[in-house]
Amino acid sequence: MSDPLTILTLTPIGVGLLLLILPQLLPGNLASSIRKFSRNVSFGVSMALFAFATYLSFTTFGGIDWLGINMGEYELMNNEPVTLISSIGVSWIVGVDALSLPMVWLTALLIPLSMLVEWDAKEGHIFHPLILVMEGALLGVFVVLDLFVFYIFWEMTLIPMFFLILVWGGEDRKYASMKFFIYTFTASVIMLVGILIMYFHTGDVSGVSGTLTHHHFSLVEMNTEMIQSEGLRHLVWILLLIGFATKMPSVPVHTWLPDAHVQAPTAGSMLLAGVMLKMGAYGFLRVAVSLFPESTVVFTPILIFLGMASLVYGAWVCMGQTNLKRMVAYSSVSHMGLIFLGIATMQPLGIAGALFMMFAHGIISPLLFAVAGAFKHHYHTLEIGSMRGIAHHSPYLAAHMMLGWMGSLGLPLLAGFVAEVAILIAFWMSFGWLVLLPALTLIITAVYYLTSMQKTIFESNDRHHGILPESLHDEEPRDITWNENTSMFILGILTIVFGILPFIFFDMMSDWSTEFVREVLLNHLIEQGVKP
Amino acid sequence: MNLPINSSEAELIIPELIMLFGLVAIILIPNLGKANFRIPLTRIHVPVFIGGSRFKSTNNPKLPNQISLIIFISALFFGLIQNSYGAIGETLEVTQFSRLFSLIFIAALLLATIATTHRLPARVNVKPPNDNDSENISIKKIDALIDNRRQVDFHIILIMVGLGMSLMSMATHLFMLFVCIELASLSSYILVAFHKESKIGGEAGMKYFIVGSVASAVGIYGMSLLYLWSGDLSLDALAMKWSESESVDPLAGIAVGLMLVAFGFKVGAAPFHLAAPDAYSGASSPVAGLLATASKAMGFVALMRILVSVTMPIEGEAFWYTAIAVIAVVTMTWGNLAALTSSNPKRMLAYSSVSHAGYMLAGLAAIGSGLGSEEAIELVLTAIVFHLAVLVIFKFGAFLVLSLLETEGRSHRLEDLHGLARRDPLVAGSMFLFMLSLAGVPPLSGFLSKFLMINGIVNISAGTGSSDASSVIDWLTSVEPVFWLAFAIVINSALSMFYYLRIGLVMFFEEPEDSRTLKDAFSLRLAIVVCAILTVIVGIGPLSDWLLEMVAEAINSFVSN
Repeated sequence: MSDPLTILTLTPIGVGLLLLILPQLLPGNLASSIRKFSRNVSFGVSMALFAFATYLSFTTFGGIDWLGINMGEYELMNNEPVTLISSIGVSWIVGVDALSLPMVWLTALLIPLSMLVEWDAKEGHIFHPLILVMEGALLGVFVVLDLFVFYIFWEMTLIPMFFLILVWGGEDRKYASMKFFIYTFTASVIMLVGILIMYFHTGDVSGVSGTLTHHHFSLVEMNTEMIQSEGLRHLVWILLLIGFATKMPSVPVHTWLPDAHVQAPTAGSMLLAGVMLKMGAYGFLRVAVSLFPESTVVFTPILIFLGMASLVYGAWVCMGQTNLKRMVAYSSVSHMGLIFLGIATMQPLGIAGALFMMFAHGIISPLLFAVAGAFKHHYHTLEIGSMRGIAHHSPYLAAHMMLGWMGSLGLPLLAGFVAEVAILIAFWMSFGWLVLLPALTLIITAVYYLTSMQKTIFESNDRHHGILPESLHDEEPRDITWNENTSMFILGILTIVFGILPFIFFDMMSDWSTEFVREVLLNHLIEQGVKP
Repeated sequence: MNLPINSSEAELIIPELIMLFGLVAIILIPNLGKANFRIPLTRIHVPVFIGGSRFKSTNNPKLPNQISLIIFISALFFGLIQNSYGAIGETLEVTQFSRLFSLIFIAALLLATIATTHRLPARVNVKPPNDNDSENISIKKIDALIDNRRQVDFHIILIMVGLGMSLMSMATHLFMLFVCIELASLSSYILVAFHKESKIGGEAGMKYFIVGSVASAVGIYGMSLLYLWSGDLSLDALAMKWSESESVDPLAGIAVGLMLVAFGFKVGAAPFHLAAPDAYSGASSPVAGLLATASKAMGFVALMRILVSVTMPIEGEAFWYTAIAVIAVVTMTWGNLAALTSSNPKRMLAYSSVSHAGYMLAGLAAIGSGLGSEEAIELVLTAIVFHLAVLVIFKFGAFLVLSLLETEGRSHRLEDLHGLARRDPLVAGSMFLFMLSLAGVPPLSGFLSKFLMINGIVNISAGTGSSDASSVIDWLTSVEPVFWLAFAIVINSALSMFYYLRIGLVMFFEEPEDSRTLKDAFSLRLAIVVCAILTVIVGIGPLSDWLLEMVAEAINSFVSN
């Protein structure tokens, strides 16, 4: 177990748990000195992991040639399977491809940034190690290719997040954390049934299969034909969809998200929006679409419906929001809808767009939540209408806010634009004029961002002072602190960089999706009479 | 001299012999003293050592506890290293299956003994109250004296429970099985009522005893009917007779049904579970833990013997399939719904243990459907036994935490858990792990066992759906109803999340009512931490593999029998 991905996954969990547990077991002096350093250690470890992930992304796995943009192979990179529970066939198999690599890099990036934003969180000796544990769990979801272990990591992400919301959250944190946990837990248990049905249709492969059951969980060894009954294939697909769509979240099951976001601490929101929502889309592509392409093609209308509903409903609800975090949360729902639409196009371009949307949204939405968190931190409110003229009092905050909102509404040359355009073009190629609906929704997005921008950043009755919210109690508002500023600055720069140079990841993604459509989906598309 | 058993047989039951001789020892040793017997009409005093003023060492009130610790630890040790199997006489047989269950029972009893060290403490230097003491102090002194006096009683009964349960797992004769169950049950009724000076303890014991004895009586009636029918109560003969008869004889059917009442009471299946929450909340936590783990395991051994090895037909569904399936679903749902509304942590754990019984009964029902291949049936049995084994770790772990709280006289209200994380993070963290494991969150051992259960049921049933169904509805209508048992478990797991999380929530979130640090009970704390660690490492990795293999072997020996 010494391959880079294993190190990347297990180090943060190990270090995080050690930092959490050691002070409980050691005598007082030693414990308090560990507590003193655990914040710095966590940050150091996460930075080291980020450096490591960057190194892996751009050399070993990516092999980017900055002039020719010539990418390497996108096959799954397997290590030798290491058996974990031999009797039921659980092994440790890790690998990445163009689907998961950007997510791995994104996770490694967001963890130190979110730690930085909440550098002064109370009880930092627990807060920062918890985020570190979270990092391990998130990375595990993206690199593990054994469904049992995948499920374990999938659920493991819940526990640190539960505590982040519960202990460091807002006023209604108890309700929000319970709702978050129970919603996603229920959905994933339903998903588990789907996984089990798949498990029982796997063959006996020596090396990975269980000695007791003669089945295995290895995704690498599974294939699309393993389940004979078409109805059962559809059923499994739907069970998986319930699990993944709740995590994304898609419209009928999205209600945990706004609550969780509003109550979560800034770092929690950033990770929730940046990476945890992507787990849903990732899992959907990795498991449901890859192994049940036929069902995906048959149920394309469901995907379109879910995507449209999320997109339109999310955007529509956004317009009515006065709470900054709630608005961003619903905009996330809306953007996740676009991902479903991108997948539903079954076009290389659409899927690549969806992948890039996952990545771009993973940079922009943490920026938005960092901004909202800083706003809450310095102005003690999240109400959009409660103040005017932030630009006057906190120019840095205002600048980051602008950039984030512009990125989110899809301004050209920013990262979100590339993804939106790719998805819309593919959508037009597949479904023709139906594209008007998502396209028009993007206008709604622009409307709500621009109005709130006007309300908070600029508009001011008094040219020099603006209106300050009551919650400030006549204090002089301050601008954001250095740590918040650094973190947002990095995210902002990346938004611009990936807007201008999307091909850093986009080429890799589109190659992957071309391959994916050709290998996995094409036959079924033709079978169903869809013009590919 | 003609011994009732020879040495090779004795070797098989070393753990039980240890308990038996320990029982004698624990009765004798505390009574050793400087007693003399004067031979009549002479002045010769012959020392007899029994009675009289006791020696200093035997007068120590901590002694019974230490003896019982030594007994259980050595029994556990010898049970683990033993690997010879065979029959003893006509009615007992040591197999991997019975050995595994002996270990489960002994492990649970060991944990109970450790917890009792602090829950029912013996104090060496306590003096009788004198006139200068205030009322409070004299009450405390009297309590301590009573606690000292009844140390022996408690541990004698504890060892008797162990002996009864351990022998019961080896019984191959229905009569022996019943006698052993009664030995363990009667002892456990006393344990429940052990704190008779508190109103709630006496009431709980009484209730538990009355309901339990009625259930036993019904079971014995069933057994007598079965005897009428077959004329032989050994399990092999019953199984033989059963497989010979073409259809289920009404007499035998009724007999088995009546016996299910008795065993259903032991496992806490609805609707026979109603006394359980009262018993758990009235008993001290170590005893409640014992009821939730060892006593339940005992019930399941009996159920498995009757349902799987005797009445399971070679082909087709068993006659009890529908009944058990319905009971399973009702049990798990009822348990979870009731747990949702209870605010006493012990009642909540009692109901959670009822719902866990429901999950395991669902496994039995899946076997009863007769759809599974031999391999699939073994898988489900493995899941059930594995669940019973790991329950000792995390369910008893939770009761250990409650025992620790009980040493301050609390743990009957949810409020007593408030702010535990602030008072003692390690214990609160362990408790949270236990709760997550009970709820079945990966990668904890509770997940693995629940996973195996769903796994087994899906395995048995998913193949039954029509393979040419082209739509979801077609497939769902063609699949056997057993498939829905898996869904019942899934939905119930989600339901149970609420109350398990609530415990975690109040521990980490609410302000403690009393901010003193918890009592420094080293051995109990150690046991809690060991349980917490085991909860994690039995969930995934080599240790889980080891346990699974052990369980699989046990099931092999059970099925081949």
